[in-house]
Amino acid sequence: MSATKKLTIARAMAESLAQEMRADPTVFVMGEDIAQLGGVFGNTRGLFDEFGGERVRDTPISETAFIGAGVGAAMDGMRPVVELMFVDFFGVCFDAIYNMMAKNIYFSGGKSHVPMVIMASTGAGYSDGGQHSQCLYGTFAHLPGMKVVAPSNAYDAKGLMTAAIRDNSPVIYLFHKGLQGMGWLGNEPAAINQVPEDNYVLEIGKARTVVEGADISIVSIGIGVHHALKAAQKLKEKNISVEVIDLCSLVPLDREHIIASVKNTGRLLVVDEDYHSFGVSGEIIASVTEHDHKMLKTPPCRVTFPDIPIPFSRPMEQWALPSTEKIINVCLTMMERK
Amino acid sequence: MTKSIIVPMDLWEEDEEAVLTAWLVDNDSEVSIGQLVAEIMVEKIQYEITSTCEGIISIICEEDDVVNKGSVIAEVS
Repeated sequence: MSATKKLTIARAMAESLAQEMRADPTVFVMGEDIAQLGGVFGNTRGLFDEFGGERVRDTPISETAFIGAGVGAAMDGMRPVVELMFVDFFGVCFDAIYNMMAKNIYFSGGKSHVPMVIMASTGAGYSDGGQHSQCLYGTFAHLPGMKVVAPSNAYDAKGLMTAAIRDNSPVIYLFHKGLQGMGWLGNEPAAINQVPEDNYVLEIGKARTVVEGADISIVSIGIGVHHALKAAQKLKEKNISVEVIDLCSLVPLDREHIIASVKNTGRLLVVDEDYHSFGVSGEIIASVTEHDHKMLKTPPCRVTFPDIPIPFSRPMEQWALPSTEKIINVCLTMMERK
Repeated sequence: MTKSIIVPMDLWEEDEEAVLTAWLVDNDSEVSIGQLVAEIMVEKIQYEITSTCEGIISIICEEDDVVNKGSVIAEVS
């Protein structure tokens, strides 16, 4: 086993990128401010100095152009990792993403691969307004042809990035700003964990049970996993045993893992910072009830972002966001219901 | 003998406060000279703190603590 060291998610992403770029000359990175600056979220630090401007390319502020260029490069034998600085900027480049990147493997009858990664920041919590704060997990997961991953800690961030780069299908890699280890975006020490120095792959589409429990299964992704873990700790004092599942990937969705957990606990709570309706939380609940609704001792619940644009005002934004307190309250209510 | 890990006086130009954003080593773990141990942030710019001594680290400042140039953030013995 190789030595490990403690990394932030930002450093883990950069380390995976550097190791893959050393091993494979077709891997390159492009996006806004990802070269000399090292990315506004720190996830490309050091790459420009090591690999130079040919392989670490700053782009003009035109997502339409450089996401489209990434698709072309991927179909022409390269492995581009393209940063969409904020996932919220998807609007101007969505034709390239879901009509080209996601579908060209199918349109070519499998003759072309599109080994492209789009990495994009997600998440609210630091008053950046409704066009810089969304998660949009459901938006990307809904559309076929793309894998979607979202790490909650540095270990997963590195292994999933390596898997995404090596995948011959397009992968959307969503990292939460509040977990990056960049102080002004919030701080979550539990996201900074031990990471092997050698490169490794985590299989895309595999969920993980972070904490085992007997009473309630909390299914979450990204920062929601950390809220859930804190809630589980507090609920233990009230003799409520919570199981926390980190999905790690949304597409493919590890339904088997979720169902196996709910079979044991009989209660399901989904925590998702994405919007409440028509999204990930509804899909997870539907997947469980479709399998066997009799597994559930109580109706399934969700703690999600209400169906409103994300407020800029700090008190309003914090009111709307999922939190440890909200999760605890819902769990207490679920345990009281017969 | 106990030595200190100090925020270098020349790490950034002005005299703004910084925030310790991440420890990249565990408390009571072994550190070596030149090893990256922490990150601090000044006005959205991140700086690296490397260890100037070797031994077992005892962390003094926690994540989210405000630090200044010259602040002792850990001791090494």
